[in-house]
Amino acid sequence: MTYKTQALVAAALMTFAMSSQAADPIKIGVSGPYTGGSAPMGVSMRDGVKLAVAEINAAGGVLGRQLQIVERDDEAKNERGVQIAQELINKEKVVATVGYANTGVALASQRFYQEAKIPVITNVATGTVVTKQFEKDKDNYIFRTSANDAIQAKMLADEAIDKQKYTKVAILADSTNYGQLGREDLEKALAAKKITPVAVEKYNLKDVDMTAQLLKSKQGGAQVVLTYGIGPELAQIANGMEKLNWHVPIIGSWPLSMGNFIDNSGKNGNGARMPQTFIQDGNTPKRKAFIEAYQKAYKIDRMPSAVSAAQGYDSILLLAAAIKQAGTTDGDKVRAALESLNTKVEGVVTTYDKPFTRDDHEAIKAGSVVMGEVRNGRVVLGK
Amino acid sequence: MDILLQLVFSGIALGMIYAVIAFGYQLTFATSGTLNFGQGEALMLGALVGLSVVGNIHGGPYLNYWLMIPIVLVFGALQGMFVEWIGVRPAIKIKSEFGWIMSTIALAIIFKNVAENIWGKDDLPFPMPISGTPFQIFGANVQPMQVLVVIGALLIMAAVELFNRKSIYGKAVVATSNDRDAAGLMGINTSMVITFSYALSSATAAFAGVLVAPLTLTGATMGAALGLKAFAVAIIGGLTSGMGAIVGGLILGIAETVTGFYISTGYKEVPGLLLLLLVLAVKPAGLFGKTAIKKV
Repeated sequence: MTYKTQALVAAALMTFAMSSQAADPIKIGVSGPYTGGSAPMGVSMRDGVKLAVAEINAAGGVLGRQLQIVERDDEAKNERGVQIAQELINKEKVVATVGYANTGVALASQRFYQEAKIPVITNVATGTVVTKQFEKDKDNYIFRTSANDAIQAKMLADEAIDKQKYTKVAILADSTNYGQLGREDLEKALAAKKITPVAVEKYNLKDVDMTAQLLKSKQGGAQVVLTYGIGPELAQIANGMEKLNWHVPIIGSWPLSMGNFIDNSGKNGNGARMPQTFIQDGNTPKRKAFIEAYQKAYKIDRMPSAVSAAQGYDSILLLAAAIKQAGTTDGDKVRAALESLNTKVEGVVTTYDKPFTRDDHEAIKAGSVVMGEVRNGRVVLGK
Repeated sequence: MDILLQLVFSGIALGMIYAVIAFGYQLTFATSGTLNFGQGEALMLGALVGLSVVGNIHGGPYLNYWLMIPIVLVFGALQGMFVEWIGVRPAIKIKSEFGWIMSTIALAIIFKNVAENIWGKDDLPFPMPISGTPFQIFGANVQPMQVLVVIGALLIMAAVELFNRKSIYGKAVVATSNDRDAAGLMGINTSMVITFSYALSSATAAFAGVLVAPLTLTGATMGAALGLKAFAVAIIGGLTSGMGAIVGGLILGIAETVTGFYISTGYKEVPGLLLLLLVLAVKPAGLFGKTAIKKV
């Protein structure tokens, strides 16, 4: 090889390396349950995230770079979530992570991001402590775009006691972190109204017989069943009520809107009410476009969990806005930008105007959550 | 009073499911001295195959519930023969005491993974063949499907017992279970009898699967817990007695619902398992079991 060709090859390699560096994508981790009982939440969340990423990339990306998601199935298992967190941070070198449908997995995994100074936007899990885990640290890297349990528990109590005028309530909560933390919030919200539940019952995931729990509630004279759990077991509760020929309303936390509750409970699930940040109903142009894009991209009519899809979509918009404002992908600067977003971000749940501050990492405030109701296999706005 | 009755009725329906699976454990134990630890998975596969036929998941429904049952029975029998052929026969051949334990557990895990890939990891609803609206007996609510579960479970156990007592093939099974070596010397093809007992045991489990599926949800993970509970039932009732399976099942089922109501739902599984420990300590052959004397 002559000197001249050598120089040419070197120059060519240099330009290649530089151009590939300029086009280096921004890696974003996505961790959620894509299989098992929580799958409707995880899958919808991921699909919402993908839609947002595709839209941003089609418009030229962020900072001139494309967004690239690295998705992992945490199977709703805490230990799996921890493994994935370490992999995403150390091996994939993600800039930020969005996801977590399960409160337990979020609590177990976030520690690693906090230590690595990488922001996390939890977009589905609702446990009240999720964003408060590192309150005492200098900076808190955990943000959220879902309605937390304190908001939801208060809504459940308002709906059952103030609006529907029930005085005797029973609580059925599952034995996971999610169910038990939610039950505490719910009992607090009820206590504020001077209501003591006539029965507070627990059940395990995969339980198929709810007779004992429901009979106790019925014996206590409950006029309404308040639930804190996830789809399949909620369906067992609705079906168990049919078995006992005991028909009182079900009001519960937001997973009552999940496809696997609606499908597995069939007509027994009709009338169940739950707080929703988003209902699959195109009542604004932005929402209509989002729903249509989702239906077209994934070839389905009903979203398995519309709330998760919408919150997943919005979490990416917020993250992209923050990276743009920070002008870099440095975790600390992105966190600071999230805490002081100076542009309005128009999402599908709501329009975010300074959604986060240094002390408040919750994007969803009490006012923007509505009551949904299951009617004939769909979730509609409850009246 | 109707509370207790309600709990007992739910317990009976639950207990009969345990009893059918426990009965399956007994069938293979009697003839070969081995157990299929994948009984729960046999139930799960039966339920999912049934769902593919009567549900709308794989382009169906193809047949109605009642016509689907023979298909599931045949499938269960073939699955049982496969387990025996691949997991148990080699262990018996080399006179390994415990090889079959690991191989049947291994097969159970493989079946679960295969099912997860075919039917997914989600729980699916199973269409109910008869109305789900409960009727009242003495003030307690009972679903027609729960009655069907109890009747179906009793029928299949009675059919197997009748077959064993009356038919010449059944007598070969009984002879093998009494003394395998002697039966072999009398010209009975004992290894065929053992294969047959595996086919029968998996077929009953598959049948139990389609019986219970309309009441519970159907999914790849439904077998594990039921299989374990049924094993406890088989031990409580005695591994050699069909009657023991029924009584053991009823005890465990009723104990669960009653404990759940009167003590705590968090502890509902404890009394049954305490009973298991008690039975093992006091009468290791089970409540209805014959004490076998093993000469060495």
